[in-house]
Amino acid sequence: MTQVKQKGPEVTLTPPEDAGNGLKTQEMVINMGPQHPSTHGVLRMELTLDGEIVTKAVPHIGYLHRCFEKHCEAMNDYTKVIPYVDRMDYVAAMNNELGYAIAMERLMGIQVNDRVEYIRVIMAELQRIASHLLALGTFGLDIGAFTPFLYCFIEREKVLDIFEKASGARLLYNYIWIGGLMNDVPADFKSDTAAFVTSFRPKIKELNDLLSYNKIFVERTANVGVLPEKVAINYGISGPSLRGSGVKWDLRRDDPYSIYDRFEFDVIVGKGEVGTLGDCWDRYIVRVWEMEESLKIIEQALDQMPGEGDVQESVPKKIRPPAGEIYCRTETPRGELGYYIISDKSTTPFRIKARAPSFVNLSVLPAISVGSMVADMVAIIGSIDIVLGEVDR
Amino acid sequence: MSDNLEIPRTNAKVSDPARERSLNFLERIYLPEIFRGMWYTLKQMFQPKFTMLYPEERFEPPAIFRGRPVLVEDEGQERCVACGLCARACPPLAISMQASENSDDPKERYPNFFEINMLRCIYCGYCEEVCPEEAIVMSKDYDLVFESREEAVYDKSKLLVRKEELKDRLEYLREYKNRQFGQFWNFDEENNIHSVRNRDKRWETSLSLVEMIEEQRKQDKQTELMRD
Ligand code: SF4
Ligand code: SF4
Repeated sequence: MTQVKQKGPEVTLTPPEDAGNGLKTQEMVINMGPQHPSTHGVLRMELTLDGEIVTKAVPHIGYLHRCFEKHCEAMNDYTKVIPYVDRMDYVAAMNNELGYAIAMERLMGIQVNDRVEYIRVIMAELQRIASHLLALGTFGLDIGAFTPFLYCFIEREKVLDIFEKASGARLLYNYIWIGGLMNDVPADFKSDTAAFVTSFRPKIKELNDLLSYNKIFVERTANVGVLPEKVAINYGISGPSLRGSGVKWDLRRDDPYSIYDRFEFDVIVGKGEVGTLGDCWDRYIVRVWEMEESLKIIEQALDQMPGEGDVQESVPKKIRPPAGEIYCRTETPRGELGYYIISDKSTTPFRIKARAPSFVNLSVLPAISVGSMVADMVAIIGSIDIVLGEVDR
Repeated sequence: MSDNLEIPRTNAKVSDPARERSLNFLERIYLPEIFRGMWYTLKQMFQPKFTMLYPEERFEPPAIFRGRPVLVEDEGQERCVACGLCARACPPLAISMQASENSDDPKERYPNFFEINMLRCIYCGYCEEVCPEEAIVMSKDYDLVFESREEAVYDKSKLLVRKEELKDRLEYLREYKNRQFGQFWNFDEENNIHSVRNRDKRWETSLSLVEMIEEQRKQDKQTELMRD
């Protein structure tokens, strides 16, 4: 048996310096994670510290790698990929399914009927609210505000109840299928959703009172982890993290898919209200107000939704797309989720690559965390809102 | 092009205290802020409780809930005809089975063994979706416990559940699912036994399948009686 010598990560430390009082100081390397409550999963950060100031941060990923691409190639059917895309970004499963379904429908030239489109949009926006609630709640929790986390979870629970009634699952739905939906929504879906919308509006204000403008919270997040607009674009950041830096870029508006061109909503951008433009607080507040925009979309969609229509009308009997390739991108709560699908005219996918927003957003972490305090790392990681399931896939 | 993008604009060393919001007197003594926070908590105390005291108080899932997949037991035997579709449709390859034949039974085929590895199952519901016999359905069980990996492989003894206990789900399926079958034939329980079609010599007669089976049984009984 040959032994493989594993090389440890290379670390260069500055030689000890004389601090002037006979004591010597030296840089120190510590690991944050993978078992750390605020790395949102299994992320390991290798931090080089000069006292309490971070001089270098290197994220190490891969602890949750589940061979998504290889799995897809091993599936003998395109349909079987849907439960797997659920498990990429497991707190926003509906959005992942929607992206995949739209990509496949474009590849196969399927046109779905209006009822399906409206249900999909409502589901996707509800999921965006649920996902943002989780992001905001855990962000507060990371920084030390425990109570808003519980209130956020109560609201998220109500969304999950709506999902459960429609799809039969609370987290991983397998609801949006290629060419349609798994089944029609229940009869009281409209009234349930409308009731949620009305009950949720005041909660956003409550969240702002409790957390957003809380002095301690603002102290911890304003001017921390500033991501300038140009850096964000250079790194390919997308989603609320990009908009937090003041870039008005939302695929729902700039590259409308599904029926998003029928709705009126604003694209929220950060303004540097309490600190510098692009700091953690800006990324946070973009998510808060985006929930309001999602509510607007849901209300409009509920009004326009046709009452009749077979949701399985255009579900193909056999999924055998023509040979070719497609890249299709959608806006998930975390940013641009793109699927690159190559078909070789068989029922088995030749290749499915997912461009995961969390993965790309994480790559900016080393650039924005240099110079911050070690305690602020928690805030920075929380504010770019990564889901490790999607980073590693 | 003069900005060096790699250098962060603001950090702990250079943050600008002049931009910080100054607190007014009430905010500085903190007490009103604390009471405001407490007020929310107090209000929440009188809201309906959102949590459940789980093991004592159990969550009763609706019929649409996708819990552990089970085999339907109909009159003492499984409905499954061992066609293998569910094993083929299962994305994580959780189902393994072996078909066997029994010519004494109108159903003819049955699974010799049928196992679902509950560590692999992802509760997607595809097995139920493809099953032509409504023989595998998603139940309401959601808390599965095992102590070893071997225990997690459920065999027929653990999978079989009587159809009376699955009434909710079966009714739900009739009403909302399996529409694609309805296009070609009426999805009735008596249609569940396809293979009779080939055995019946008098297929041309306009008897329903159930009538055919009854006819068959009557004939069998008569021959038995005559032998006696
Ligand atoms: S529910 Fe899905 S994963 Fe589980 S046995 Fe059925 S097809 Fe397989
Ligand atoms: S699909 Fe139904 S009938 Fe066929 S093997 Fe599975 S459970 Fe049995």
